[in-house]
Formats: sequence, structure tokens, C-alpha cells
Amino acid sequence: MSVVARLEERSLRPDQELAALIEQAKGDGAVVSFAGIARPGSKEGETVYRLMLEHHPALTLQSLEEIAVEAAARFDVSHVRVVHRCGDIAAGEPIVFAAAAARHRRAAFEAADYLMDRLKTEAVFWKREVGEAGSEWIEPTEADYADRDRWG
Amino acid sequence: MKVLFYGRLAEAIGPELEIDAPPGCSVGELRERLIVEHPQAERPLRSRRALACVGDSLVRDSYVLQAADRVEFLPPVSGG
Repeated sequence: MSVVARLEERSLRPDQELAALIEQAKGDGAVVSFAGIARPGSKEGETVYRLMLEHHPALTLQSLEEIAVEAAARFDVSHVRVVHRCGDIAAGEPIVFAAAAARHRRAAFEAADYLMDRLKTEAVFWKREVGEAGSEWIEPTEADYADRDRWG
Repeated sequence: MKVLFYGRLAEAIGPELEIDAPPGCSVGELRERLIVEHPQAERPLRSRRALACVGDSLVRDSYVLQAADRVEFLPPVSGG
């Protein structure tokens, strides 16, 4: 069993994270991974140039670790990996990698889904879109909170 | 007492304030005072998803502040 939770200030390579997880997961039958990418457009359809992800010096990493550890405890998985960007992220760049390895696929799918529902609403970041319309703070929607609440 | 802000609260109030809170002042009372002094930050300060922290631990509005505490107000968080 391994749990990885990291905060990256400069770059995130989902392909390398996935390769590392598959390497770790020898003996397992399933690896499910999710990569979140900064969208080039806002909800209103305006061009977004970048995402600024402000973080807290202590609480942000603590929140990533807590979510990853709880996913590992809740599902029948052997490895959990969460890597999150912070700082200045250009549209099209990865923001987050969340993945799980397990003996069988169902647990890995569920763990990845759970990780993202909790990261969207509980990871300690403040997100601001910067684009043609200026700058706008982005907070979770009621649908995001409802997705998280599915897990009880 | 040092009070720190993040995200849209830092944008509205500034990242840090030095405040003389009276003895026995709770986090909720400090929040009300901040709303009076910084009305532009009322909405994020009153958000039911906003959090307050002392020493990197979440605290409720009833928490009574000590002079040496460093209080942090966090607007709703969002990752992913």
C-alpha cells in the first residue's frame, strides 16, 4: 500500500505520474487515472488565458494528504496518487492528477471518482480565472458539493 | 493580533491586518467587526462555506481568541 500526495509549483506531467503508478502497481489488475486540465474558455464562453491557483502554506498539502489517505482507507485499493499544481497555470496545462491502483477495476474507478469529488470541494486552493473578461474567482458549484455529499 | 486573508478575501481586505481584539473576543465577533470595517468583504465573510483557522486548525465562531493567536479567514476552497 502506498499513498502519494504532492503539491507542484512548476509543472505536472500526468504521463510520468501514470507511468510511476503502473510501475508501483505490479501485481494489481487495474489502474484508473484522471487528469484535470485548465479550460481555455469560461462558463460564459469567454477566452481564458490562465488559472491562478493560490494555496495555503500548511493547509493545502495537509488537505491533499488527508483526502488521499481517506481514499486509500475507504476502498480496496493498493496505491493512491494525488498530484496538484499551484501557482500560475496556462490554459491547456494539467492542474491535477488523481489515480488509484487496485486488484480489480471497480475499486480503482470508485477511488478516483471519490478523490476528485473531494478535491473539487475540499482541497485548500483559491482559484481565479484570468481571461478576456478580466479576472474571476471560481468556487465549487452546488452540483460539486452534491457530488461530494454522495460519499457521505 | 494578526489576521490573515486568502483568495477573494485577500483581494477585498488585503492579505494581513493587525487588530486589537478585546479580551474574550470570539471568532464570530471578530468576523462581525471585520464586516463593519470592510463592508466590501461582507459576502465572502458571511459565506457558509468560509472557514476560520487558528494555528492551522479549523475553529468555530464560538472559539475565544487569545492575544497571541494568528487568525486566518479562508473563503470557500476549490481544487481540481
